[in-house]
Amino acid sequence: MNGSVVKVERVTKRYSGHTAVDGLSLDVPAGGIFGLLGPNGAGKSTTIRMIMNIITPDEGKIAVFGRESASRDMSDKIGFLPEERGLYKKMKVVDQLTFLAEAKGIHRAVARKKAVTWLERLGLTDWTMKKVEDLSKGMQQKVQFIGTLLHDPDLIILDEPFSGLDPVNSQVMKDVVVEVARQGRTVLFSTHIMEQAERMCDRIVIIARGQKLVDGTLSEIKREFGGRHVALTFTRNADRAARVLADRTLVAKADDSGATAEAELAPGGDPERLLRTLIQEDVGLSRFEVVEPSLHSIFIAKVGTEAATAPAKELVHA
Amino acid sequence: MHKVWAVIRREFVERVRTRAFILSTLLFPLFMGAMVVLPGYLMSRSTGTRTIAFVDATSDDLGLRMVTALQAARIGKGEAARPRYAVTHLRAPNRSMAVRDSLLPMTGKSRRVEGGLDGILVVTDSTVTGGKAAYYGVNVASFDDMRDLEQTIRPMVIAQRLQGLGVDFAEVMKSVQGIDLRTMKVADGKLTNESGAATFILAYAMGFLLYFSLLIFGNQVMNSIVEEKNNRIVEVLASSLTPFQMMLGKVVGVGSVALLQIGIWAGTATFLTTNQAKIMSMLGAGGSGGLPMALPSMKLELLIVFLLFFSLGFLLFAAAYAAVGAMANTVQDAGQMQMPVMMFVLAGFFSVFALIRDPNGTAAQVLSYVPMMTPFVIPMRYSISPLPMTELLGSIAVTIVGMLAIVWLAARIYRVGILSYGKKATLRDMVRWIRTA
Repeated sequence: MNGSVVKVERVTKRYSGHTAVDGLSLDVPAGGIFGLLGPNGAGKSTTIRMIMNIITPDEGKIAVFGRESASRDMSDKIGFLPEERGLYKKMKVVDQLTFLAEAKGIHRAVARKKAVTWLERLGLTDWTMKKVEDLSKGMQQKVQFIGTLLHDPDLIILDEPFSGLDPVNSQVMKDVVVEVARQGRTVLFSTHIMEQAERMCDRIVIIARGQKLVDGTLSEIKREFGGRHVALTFTRNADRAARVLADRTLVAKADDSGATAEAELAPGGDPERLLRTLIQEDVGLSRFEVVEPSLHSIFIAKVGTEAATAPAKELVHA
Repeated sequence: MHKVWAVIRREFVERVRTRAFILSTLLFPLFMGAMVVLPGYLMSRSTGTRTIAFVDATSDDLGLRMVTALQAARIGKGEAARPRYAVTHLRAPNRSMAVRDSLLPMTGKSRRVEGGLDGILVVTDSTVTGGKAAYYGVNVASFDDMRDLEQTIRPMVIAQRLQGLGVDFAEVMKSVQGIDLRTMKVADGKLTNESGAATFILAYAMGFLLYFSLLIFGNQVMNSIVEEKNNRIVEVLASSLTPFQMMLGKVVGVGSVALLQIGIWAGTATFLTTNQAKIMSMLGAGGSGGLPMALPSMKLELLIVFLLFFSLGFLLFAAAYAAVGAMANTVQDAGQMQMPVMMFVLAGFFSVFALIRDPNGTAAQVLSYVPMMTPFVIPMRYSISPLPMTELLGSIAVTIVGMLAIVWLAARIYRVGILSYGKKATLRDMVRWIRTA
């Protein structure tokens, strides 16, 4: 499968009062994991809902599998985990999953067998015959996650799949997503957790206020963002360290988290001089490493203050 | 089609499994059973033979004739008949009150004491002249008992008076006999076995079943769609099914539940009424009493017409309810917004009452071509007299076209409404949805 699986071209969606998505273009290539990143209210969910044909764009075109109406006509090849989870509360877990797969055209008996296998894999075997309402939120989320994968879709769209999960369950789901992508299928997921995206994604798009800020593979993005970054860890005298990091002849920008910091060296700044200065200041340096910029710092730099001022738009769906 | 089946099965299975469904399905037959058995049972219990003392203060043989009449009265018919009264005849001219007073201590002890009484009937000469007699008993509050007693002794008094006038009592009874109008339905130029009352009940029952199903199950369709919207299942469904598949599956699924429940009810009702005598005798309650009338029988062709129009009507109205559900955000909203649909259901149901008086009149004929009305009007008309084939087919055609039109409209509203949250849909929104969907 070559070419793009999802192609979003100059799409705009307005709600009364504000523009949720503004001339956005995306190109999700076949295979691999594609991350749609952005702060709250950036328009991630709106974009995903337009790709799923749940809402229609005001302007622009969206094609899935090269066809404009594919998200409806070829829905059997797509697995979708919406941002707001929903299951039939009174149904038994296994019946629920069987039904979800049947709605994707899978035969009943096959669907049931697959559901049981998946439940076992995600450690939910004991809950197979329980009603959905008896499950915890996290378990319900896993059940719905299974529901998106049960019919072996070629394209999997996950809207904030890890939100609200504990680290263990998060890890389990991450492993599944990575494995699915390795089978040559395409995963598109949205998140605002950068560490997760950095570990998983082959390609990334960062959007804010409905507009695209960054687009490319992880290595492309880091190369383009450029700058020499130093990762630091201090064990004492954090205030003195902060003073050093504030020296603009040495450091162009610093993301100071107290005990650790990521500093971007000033143009012409010398990492050795920074190291010497920090040792003089006696900050108990336990890590000093010249690194690529983290996705987190790229995100902060690109989205900047916008993230802090962005209104909570994502709650407003007309 | 496979997908629609999946939705139908889910709707059907999940509903039939609920406690509410099982309870309501079982409670009705229980109620029916009670209706069939209890009245007869209670009657056979309460109307045992009454032991009464007949205090006779008459100066002629009136008292004797009354006693004979009382002794001849029977409860029930045929083999199982028992005497209604056990009478002790006490002649007490001039001292009836004293005799009565001496009997009072025994009154009310008929089941416990030898010689106990249920009551004392006092008849004097003034019974003939003034029409007065007195009964002192523990069962005076029983209208049935008092009526029976009165009816048993009254003819003796009347006969006595007529005799005084020189008129023969038997001749008078013959000449005042009323007429008994027996109603029998003529259908299709042939005599049937159905009485007028049975015909009415059948026509009414068919209308009521549709009305009842629409109120209960139409609302279920509506509310479950609101619920699916609220917990966002609809987004997952919409990523797998077309809105039309979702709506069709839901309406047909819920409709099958309605048919199943009504089928169970109708089956039990038929079984109980046709086997009423057997059930009563099994319970040792004798063959008397029971429902005031047997359920009317339903001809196969009427059943087919009824089921056809029931299904068409259910699809039509349930689709409308589905559209209302899709427009609403909360169950309360939906409750308010269903008014227009409700009006049509009510209009259809009440047209049955209005038209039953003149089932082949102009109004009935016109309404037979109004899609919202036909599901109520046609079975009613057909039950009274089969419609001409052309009219029936015409009506079916109009109903199907109307049903498809409404389903189409509802599907368009549904398609847009189901995925829009937040604000309440206005009439203008609705028109826009129909146009853009």
